[in-house]
Amino acid sequence: MTTVMNHKSPTASHRPIMERLNVVTALVLGIALAVISYYLASKFLPENTEGSVMKTRHDQIILIAMFGWFIGFMTGIGALVAPVRWLMGKDLSHDENMYLAGKDAGTARYFRYTTDHKVVGIQYLVITMVIFGVGGILAMLIRTNLGHAEGGWLHPQAYNAVVGIHGIIMIVGTIIMITGPFGNFIMPIMIGARDMAFPRLNALSFWLIVAALAPILSSFFLGGITTGWSAYNPLATQSPGGMDGYIMFICIFAISTMVAGANITTTVVRMRAKGMTWTRTPIFIYGTVASVALALPAFPVFFLSQVMSAMDRAAGTTFYDTRGGGSGWLYENLFWLMGHPEVYVILIPAVAALMEMAPVFTRRPLFSFKIAVMGIAGICGLSILVWAHHMYVTGWAPLLNAPFMLTTELISIPTGMLFLVLVGTVWRGRLWMTVPTASIFALLLNFMIGGITGIYLSDVPADAALHGSMFVTAHFHYTLMGAGLTGAIAALIFWFPKMTGRMIDKQLSWISFWLVQIGFNVAFMGMFMVGLAGQPRRVEAYAELFTRGNQITTGAAFVIMTGMLVLLWAVIYSWRNGQKAPMNPWQSKTLEWSVPNPVPLENFETLPIVTSDPYGYGKAQS
Amino acid sequence: MSDLQTKKPQWWKSKDVKITAALWVVLSVFIGVIGGIVNSRPMGQPASETMANTIHIMKLFTWVSAPVAGLVAAIAIKSLMQKMHFGDNPPAEADHQISDSPKATALWLIVSALLCLFALVFGMVVFQRDNNTLLDVHAADVNVTGQQWAWNFDYIDNGKFQSEDLYLPVNKPVHFHVTSLDVVHSFWIVQMGIKVDANPGYITETAVTPTKIGVYDLRCAELCGLLHAYMQKKVHVVSQQDYNNWVTSHGGTI
Repeated sequence: MTTVMNHKSPTASHRPIMERLNVVTALVLGIALAVISYYLASKFLPENTEGSVMKTRHDQIILIAMFGWFIGFMTGIGALVAPVRWLMGKDLSHDENMYLAGKDAGTARYFRYTTDHKVVGIQYLVITMVIFGVGGILAMLIRTNLGHAEGGWLHPQAYNAVVGIHGIIMIVGTIIMITGPFGNFIMPIMIGARDMAFPRLNALSFWLIVAALAPILSSFFLGGITTGWSAYNPLATQSPGGMDGYIMFICIFAISTMVAGANITTTVVRMRAKGMTWTRTPIFIYGTVASVALALPAFPVFFLSQVMSAMDRAAGTTFYDTRGGGSGWLYENLFWLMGHPEVYVILIPAVAALMEMAPVFTRRPLFSFKIAVMGIAGICGLSILVWAHHMYVTGWAPLLNAPFMLTTELISIPTGMLFLVLVGTVWRGRLWMTVPTASIFALLLNFMIGGITGIYLSDVPADAALHGSMFVTAHFHYTLMGAGLTGAIAALIFWFPKMTGRMIDKQLSWISFWLVQIGFNVAFMGMFMVGLAGQPRRVEAYAELFTRGNQITTGAAFVIMTGMLVLLWAVIYSWRNGQKAPMNPWQSKTLEWSVPNPVPLENFETLPIVTSDPYGYGKAQS
Repeated sequence: MSDLQTKKPQWWKSKDVKITAALWVVLSVFIGVIGGIVNSRPMGQPASETMANTIHIMKLFTWVSAPVAGLVAAIAIKSLMQKMHFGDNPPAEADHQISDSPKATALWLIVSALLCLFALVFGMVVFQRDNNTLLDVHAADVNVTGQQWAWNFDYIDNGKFQSEDLYLPVNKPVHFHVTSLDVVHSFWIVQMGIKVDANPGYITETAVTPTKIGVYDLRCAELCGLLHAYMQKKVHVVSQQDYNNWVTSHGGTI
């Protein structure tokens, strides 16, 4: 480790254990514990008895080995340093806390358990890009495979595995894509705080995600997740060992989300600068808090559903098995209790980020701040009451279809408020044309299509025709990718100067914007068409009549891929060689632009006092 | 809309507002017409009243959403028509400071709530009509059993014979009792617009009246493992006479 020590630190040969821990020790310890627990489990677990349910022992071994990895990795990265200290009746000293915050540590701090929120934000940004990279490659595998009607070059089982891993890894990527990088790096500065409320939990939430990636990636080699991202039982019970990777991944990720949610919520509620009343708090903060606060009740349910799934596989229980008194509908309910709030966990911060940018690039105040807050709150409230619209045709409770149809269609009202705020802000504004500005319009288009197709799907008779078809796939890609990812990319371009100290290349980001947006709309329009015509989702072969629609989608998918690669190149290139950014390149009035580049360790020398709302554009002249 | 509150007495005379209003009308009609065509064309000719209703309701929902979508599009296009500013430094700040307009927001809320209510009520009515088929006592009963990766049909009203093919008489209501032997499947007759999951251990119900003689597609709509993509069948809707012949040739009784 190339850490620069301050004068109080012991010499390199006598460094305390906590200063020796980094991602390398974590990997070594994680792999070692995984191997040891695999070995011990294989040796001592009893053989399957004759009448036992399938593959119980195999799943026990995999789950134990993955748990070993998890404990080893988290110990190796240093998550246990402070808890161990507390057990010994002490706490960390000031110097040790400074060490943890990464004071004077250079690049090395990005590879260890660093508590500085800015380091965590960058770490999140990189891991999000890695996740999107993996998910994107899988998406391209799916699309190439669907270039031909009679199935492609992937074995059906491999195809199912690719679909499953693409689904879940993209969902996780989109969940963290805004609250991770920008919620951690930007949010505390935006509210005028020196750090998050719980800096160590912040580091914990990030490293849990890294720990969770090993199980999901290992599932490639354990037979894959062949159930789609929803992992419905009893298909999941039947699936190969890759399913254990899914279960472990979700359990660890759920903990990470809960930890991050508690941390961000507390930070915003308790640590806003003096004078930053709720009406002076930027809308992006509302979006971030709404997102993580919505995740707080959702993810424990997901965690629980997977624990029960693991027990069905490894401990012979029958929570989801009708033969033993369980029910697959129990799983579906638990899954969608998480699953529907979760789409708003993804969407709300993306829209809020664009609302944050709209005043900056139109040079006028945000239109109807209160309506924006009401819209976000309304979506949050309703989104926990709509889960069974995913279950209209399951036969679980036909009598409940009508009430769930009611709550689902009501969501269009608060969603409409978000549209009103955006169009109200751009109306008659003098547009400063940048990629984020264009992204506002792209979001309006994509989210409108995603929203209207959502109204069809909310209707029970129409859903009976469309459920489980490619139409649904296209619909949620329009919301999560067309709206969500568009907002996230705009946020990246907007906050890039603050996070890296450099401007992102203008030309490259414009090229990427157009490639991605055009490719996206062509690709998923094609998918709508084949869905309406009756192509089921998650199929590796389809009837001849869907060929043209699928080929359009596949062709356009390559355009999206090119656009994403251009963006990746723009990020890497600009991060290394980009033009140095001024302190406030967009002339924005929020607090994060009032600190210098690079942002100092504790952000503010003296904590700011807020005297007005952050959208006071155009008031000087009046 | 947002300058309802400005002090100009006749805000509707503003050129911006006029252009936007014109765009709104044009775009709303455009979205309604194009949206309807884009939706209904791929769905093809309906083979049952259920499907006809579905196509109808999707067209209707398109028209209900069209004014909202049209307004958003009109305002967005109007803003893009303004003179834009390019460059690395911001333009001058706006010469007005509209940050709210209670009248405009109230109008927006009322209109969107009414449209939502309309869609809801209409959806419920159609939903209820579809459900009525389920209660039809004259309907023929067919037990559908899904398993990895095939469908089986038990004609319990016609002498209890089993078939791997689905033949239905035209213009006669049929009531499906759907279950599965292994994992969750979904019983979907594409052109008839009906779908219900086949769950192991439960029996779910759906009903339809085929209205057109022809060959239609039955597809599994819930990922069910290795050969999910191939779990499909043809549905034959035939005349009563042909149906009777088919039943007797399979050992059933009329």
